[in-house]
Amino acid sequence: MTKTKSNSAVEFLKQNLVLCGIVVLIIVTAIAEPKFVGAANLNNILRQLGPLPFAALGMTFVIIGGFIDLSIVGIISLVGVVTIGLIDPLGQVGALLAGLVLGAFLGWLNGFVLTACGAMTQAEVLFITYGMSSVYTALALIYTKSETLRIARSSKPYTIFTTLGSGNIGIIPIALIVFLLFLILMHLFHTKTIWGRAIALMGGNKDAAYLVGFNVKATMRLAYAINGLMSALASVALLSRVTTATATSGAGYETNAILCVVVGGTTLKGGKGSVLRTMLGVVLITLLGNCMNMLNLSTYMQTVMRGTVLVIAIWLDNRKEL
Amino acid sequence: MSAKANVNKIWAVISKQKAVVAIIALMVMMLFFDTTFYTPYNWLDMLRSTAILEIVAFGVTVAVICGGCDLSCGGTLCLGGILAVMMVNKGMPIWLAVIAALVSGAVVGFINGFLVVHQKTEPFIITLGMGMLLKGICQQLTDAHPLTCTSLEFMKLSNMKFFGTVPSLVVYMLVLFIIFYCIMRFTSFGRNCYAIGGNYEVAKYSGIKVVPIKWAAFIISGTVSALAGVLLASRMNTGSSVYGDTTGMLVNCGVVIGGTSFAGGVGGMVESFIGLFVIQLLTNCMNQLGVDGYYQRLFEGILIVIIIASDCFGRKLKRERV
Amino acid sequence: MEKTTDYILEVKDICKYFPGVKALDHVSLSIPQGVVYGIVGENGAGKSTLMKILSGVYEKDEGTVIFNGETIEHTTPIQALRRGLSIIYQEFNLVNTMTVGENIFLGRFSENHGMRGTHKKAKELLDSIGSSISTTSLVGDLSASEMQMVEIAKALSFDSKLIIMDEPSSSLTSEELKKLGIIINQLRDKGVSVIYISHKLDEIFEYCNIVTIMRDGCVIDTKPVEELTRSDMIAKMVGRTIENEYPPRAHFVGEPLLEVRNLNTNKLHDINFTLHKGEILGLVGLVGAGRTEIIRALYGADKVKGHQVILEGKTVKIPTPKQAKQAGMALVPEDRKREGLILPFSVESNITMASLEDLTHMGIVDASKEADIGKRQIESLAIKTPTPETKVVTLSGGNQQKCIVGRWMERNPKILILDEPTRGIDVGAKYEIYVLMNKIVEAGGAIIMISSELPEVLNMSNRVLVICDGRITGEFNPEEATATEIMDKAIG
Repeated sequence: MTKTKSNSAVEFLKQNLVLCGIVVLIIVTAIAEPKFVGAANLNNILRQLGPLPFAALGMTFVIIGGFIDLSIVGIISLVGVVTIGLIDPLGQVGALLAGLVLGAFLGWLNGFVLTACGAMTQAEVLFITYGMSSVYTALALIYTKSETLRIARSSKPYTIFTTLGSGNIGIIPIALIVFLLFLILMHLFHTKTIWGRAIALMGGNKDAAYLVGFNVKATMRLAYAINGLMSALASVALLSRVTTATATSGAGYETNAILCVVVGGTTLKGGKGSVLRTMLGVVLITLLGNCMNMLNLSTYMQTVMRGTVLVIAIWLDNRKEL
Repeated sequence: MSAKANVNKIWAVISKQKAVVAIIALMVMMLFFDTTFYTPYNWLDMLRSTAILEIVAFGVTVAVICGGCDLSCGGTLCLGGILAVMMVNKGMPIWLAVIAALVSGAVVGFINGFLVVHQKTEPFIITLGMGMLLKGICQQLTDAHPLTCTSLEFMKLSNMKFFGTVPSLVVYMLVLFIIFYCIMRFTSFGRNCYAIGGNYEVAKYSGIKVVPIKWAAFIISGTVSALAGVLLASRMNTGSSVYGDTTGMLVNCGVVIGGTSFAGGVGGMVESFIGLFVIQLLTNCMNQLGVDGYYQRLFEGILIVIIIASDCFGRKLKRERV
Repeated sequence: MEKTTDYILEVKDICKYFPGVKALDHVSLSIPQGVVYGIVGENGAGKSTLMKILSGVYEKDEGTVIFNGETIEHTTPIQALRRGLSIIYQEFNLVNTMTVGENIFLGRFSENHGMRGTHKKAKELLDSIGSSISTTSLVGDLSASEMQMVEIAKALSFDSKLIIMDEPSSSLTSEELKKLGIIINQLRDKGVSVIYISHKLDEIFEYCNIVTIMRDGCVIDTKPVEELTRSDMIAKMVGRTIENEYPPRAHFVGEPLLEVRNLNTNKLHDINFTLHKGEILGLVGLVGAGRTEIIRALYGADKVKGHQVILEGKTVKIPTPKQAKQAGMALVPEDRKREGLILPFSVESNITMASLEDLTHMGIVDASKEADIGKRQIESLAIKTPTPETKVVTLSGGNQQKCIVGRWMERNPKILILDEPTRGIDVGAKYEIYVLMNKIVEAGGAIIMISSELPEVLNMSNRVLVICDGRITGEFNPEEATATEIMDKAIG
């Protein structure tokens, strides 16, 4: 019995090498730099979470479904500028809802294009979503004419957005509470609902899911629509915090979201994974960035580090068995 | 019935020569506008502007023909240029700087090759991650500031003119075109690349050394990207970490637009040349017609989606026919 | 030792094991120079495995191979080619995106001094077998018979002493077949030996000098072709002693349940049949005859040109598997791992995936009911798994198959379609599956069973349809028909 236990520990290590590596790194930093575990820093970390977790959450579904989505750069940018633009005509709540609906629609549109042309391989999906991303970004550019849009430009107090961006309940940021709410919702969606199951089954084996009577195309569109919705949330989280939006504010989120998902242990082969794992990935990647701040590494070095972690994570993911 | 067969035939020809059709359509369209489009100067200028991308594409095409793909070429290009400028600024001879840059490209290609060919990872996603990593390295090297080159000799590399009129970049491009054309067409290395991309198993059973050859293709791709980076740095007289941001996707899309398929084994230098030229031609036409830059980006995105999606759609039809 | 090189190839006591199966059992063959040597056998008799060992795709587990007087311990496909042993597979080893000339000299570009030399030599080779294919056309554009010519030219370019042809006639028209006959005779006259593998006995009688009959991984008999008759050969191919492998046949056939009319696709022509309640209908045919295509079309998994399905007296439309499921159909596909199971998932999720909709209320899956289903099916089918959460990939083939059957049992399907239900699973598990089938028909369901194992079909089904080249060519009552009669129709 003990033997099987130690075996499963080794197995867990093998399956989660990257994760364990980062944990070790963080522990080492915490020992080397006691400030790291101080209350001030923890608060700082909570604030740093920002929009990335939302984006990673959405990406999780696409990756569990066996695909990938590069277009969230465009979705985040476009939703951001449109939401700000709609505050005046529609009011805050209207703009917020319109932004979310737009995000979900753009995601669905990705899924629609992909299913219509029958994209099956990761390469096809990668390039088409990249093209969609350029289209969305271009639309954002046309909308803003490259200007930065500001929430505060108008005289009315925009309470919803500012509360979302910088409000606290006790010491806990409201943005974090909203996120945790969505985390639970998405976790339940993935594990409890038939749609969440369908996405996972499709990622596990498209042909089998089809022959058992699942509508694979609709499931694929659903996964992309969820990703679009979550990207829109990420966009709202971003613009509430910085109170501005530009046509390029989504840049970099696609690779970071993929990074969090893969580091959390959701496999790019599809089928297996969970939103909680992704959450773990997000926390670890944020901590890693914080670590490097503590060690006085430049932000550029952090990009190098993230890139390295991404490449290694994908490589190790590929070596995992079923 | 025969009319339908004819339509099918015409469609087959068109779908094989999408890029040529696009070129002809654009050229015919420009006949109706009074612009400087049909001047030798404009065409020479187009060739010069597209030369860097074309050169990158020649290398990438080798990898794509082998059934791979290299999205990290943008990062490699960036890195090569920065390294060359840094070394020239340190007072090293230009030839040494160029060689150092090429070696850096070869190293990137070697690592890509290791991960893709030896470890059998999905080339698209792994080279995407590699691109991000390289981006970080470039930012770190330059502190994200453009790095001006102090050597006039280095600047001359890409800015001089042969025979008083022909820009040197065009000459480099043509020379490389001829070299690569001959390699892929007349050497056993080139032909083996086609065999590997066409059918990996058959190539292996026919005694072709599949792993070293495919690996070499990635090294070539990296090296050539770095060379293009040096030429770009010389052209701009600057090494900067913002170069090459969209190059990776653009070049790979251009290669596919030309008719080199990601399935491998088909296409070649002529196709890639035409494919990237279409993108340049589209940009030029839109410039000539005074189309807004944002709309240009929109059309570019739409073009990418349409071309790649129609490529997928063709494969889908083929799958379903069986 | 005396010279024994009258034989170009000698194979002695070769054995090959796959997990759970003995694919080859002490196979011995001796192939003289300059003959056409036929090998016949049913699907899964071990012919292809033997060829793959000779060409170096598989390693043998026991035995010796002597080729051209040289004992060969280990070989790779290219070494085998260079020694002079070529194989022409059914699905051709050609690069479709390259030209004919380059395919003939694949990987030998520099040996032939570039493109011009390659095409010149290729042309000479093609001329020598009387083929007029242009060496610069793409292989992907050629017809099957032209591809075969390219393969033969490729074999000749290696100066082959032995050419193995695996089902060479399967995609040829009768005109093309005649041409192939002429070429085979030419090769024999040149002193090249040919191994001709086929189910089609007419061709064997026409071309071959010596025939070996294989069954279940063993050599049954080797004789000069003159000493054999067609019926002898079929009897030896199928002749299996029928033991107590099968439960008693079920007899519950009732009124018509399903009627299929005018089913046509690119591969199928005018398929019409009726299925009765409580019936086990066997579909028999050679691999590639169109059996799987029929049931996939019926199940809505492939596109169909327009057909009529009448279920319980009502015309129904089944465009996708979803509708098929709702109409009460269930499919256990041929390729368990590729189309049936979700390998990295648990036994339970693999079983429950077909019934998820029934467990769902307002989109929420009832987890406790799900666990019940998993447990119930694991128990009732006696699936051997440590826990319901065990990954299905770790199970044996038989238990994996039972997971797929259990998935459908939960829904009490009216029509259960089984495509090769007992492939690659051991005898005990087979028997359990047979018992299960009987239970289903007893409960009023109907079964369509595809199988390559004739005895299985003969012992289990109430009626047998024979498929050949996309057409139904015969209908038998298995209690009266013999394997020989059925095989005769299937061979066409």
